Amino acid sequence: MSEHLISEADLHAYIDGELPPDRAADIARILQEHPEIAERAAVYDAQRDALRAGLASIAAEPVPPRLDLQAMIAARLAERRVRWRAAAAVLLAFLVGGAGGWALHDRLGGPPSDLTLLAEEAIANHVVYSADRRRPTELGAEQREDLARWVSTRLKRPVAPPDMGSMGFHYMGGRLAATPQGPAGLFMYQDASGQRLTVFVLPMPGAPDTEKHLEKVEGNAGCAWIDKGVGYTVVAPVPPAELHSLAEHVQQQFASQT
Amino acid sequence: MLARIEACIPALRRYATALLRNRDEADDLVHDCLARALDKLHTRREEADVRAWLFAIMHNLFISQARRRRSRPAPEALDDSHENATGLRPTQEDALFWRDLQRGLAMLPEEQRSVILLVSVEDLSYAEAAQVLGVPIGTIMSRLARGREKLREHTGQPGRPPLRRVK
Repeated sequence: MSEHLISEADLHAYIDGELPPDRAADIARILQEHPEIAERAAVYDAQRDALRAGLASIAAEPVPPRLDLQAMIAARLAERRVRWRAAAAVLLAFLVGGAGGWALHDRLGGPPSDLTLLAEEAIANHVVYSADRRRPTELGAEQREDLARWVSTRLKRPVAPPDMGSMGFHYMGGRLAATPQGPAGLFMYQDASGQRLTVFVLPMPGAPDTEKHLEKVEGNAGCAWIDKGVGYTVVAPVPPAELHSLAEHVQQQFASQT
Repeated sequence: MLARIEACIPALRRYATALLRNRDEADDLVHDCLARALDKLHTRREEADVRAWLFAIMHNLFISQARRRRSRPAPEALDDSHENATGLRPTQEDALFWRDLQRGLAMLPEEQRSVILLVSVEDLSYAEAAQVLGVPIGTIMSRLARGREKLREHTGQPGRPPLRRVK
């Protein structure tokens, strides 16, 4: 009787490819000699094939935006910054009292300036997207026009990716980024050594114009400025002077766009 | 590491959908699983076994959520649009077999259903499935055998009947 030849466990391990080759060969031979066991194995095989086929379409679907890992990380970074800032403000309120303390609070822990908020968003997005090897941009360099149209529509003003070729950075593409202040445009570039630069464009209606200013967040530097209600930030892992001249170049490009 | 996690998301959605038979709840479960994985990311040293690690996180979430809603009615089968969405045009026989199989799967105890899905659909080895479900390999094998046999009784015939011996 078949039960003596093959254990239940062996039969399933055979179907699932869990047996060493010599034992699998034994089982294959026994199945040939015992059609009643072979039939049962065929049914189990058919179950597996039907389950795989029936469920295949789910894994083939595009992943919904809600499950986009990069977006989840960006949301977490933003949340953590808000919490950190709240904690710092509370701590300062405990540590320092009186008028002198208030002056210090104003300087260190008071409400962040528009420029700081802008640079924080730009740097957080740079950190998340520039580190992504596989899919750093949503629309690649070949879809430059599409991206410009998309970003312009969402930002409600004409915005095109600046050309950084003369500064040694070639255009890779870009995407729309989410900030608490609304959508922002993110353009990404790469130089010959693989260093990545991002240009971040965020509409900031009502914010006063500022000069270019270097802002740092956890070791990453960005050069930020506000011009006619739009915030710009250039982020790249380069020395401050170099970053400043890159920002100068970007500023000129955007000035000529409007 | 992140790219490896991202690569597992389609499979996590497939497993969650097959377990819960509800697309929205399945995506909620995957979302919770990814959030938990990001929480625990810093505790992981090596990149090996990311898939089994993620399935284990999701399975544990599924079990604790299932405990909370044990009293609610059994979910329906997947909607029709997914019944036949195999990419190939199924024959009527295949479609009927798939429907029977879904019903059979829904009637299995959860512990057998998850083993069958992890091994047959997600291609986890017995050792990985044991890791995911937190049980010995022997238990994986006995659940697999019992579950597949019950499915066989439920569906009667496979899509393409094998050679049948006249008794």
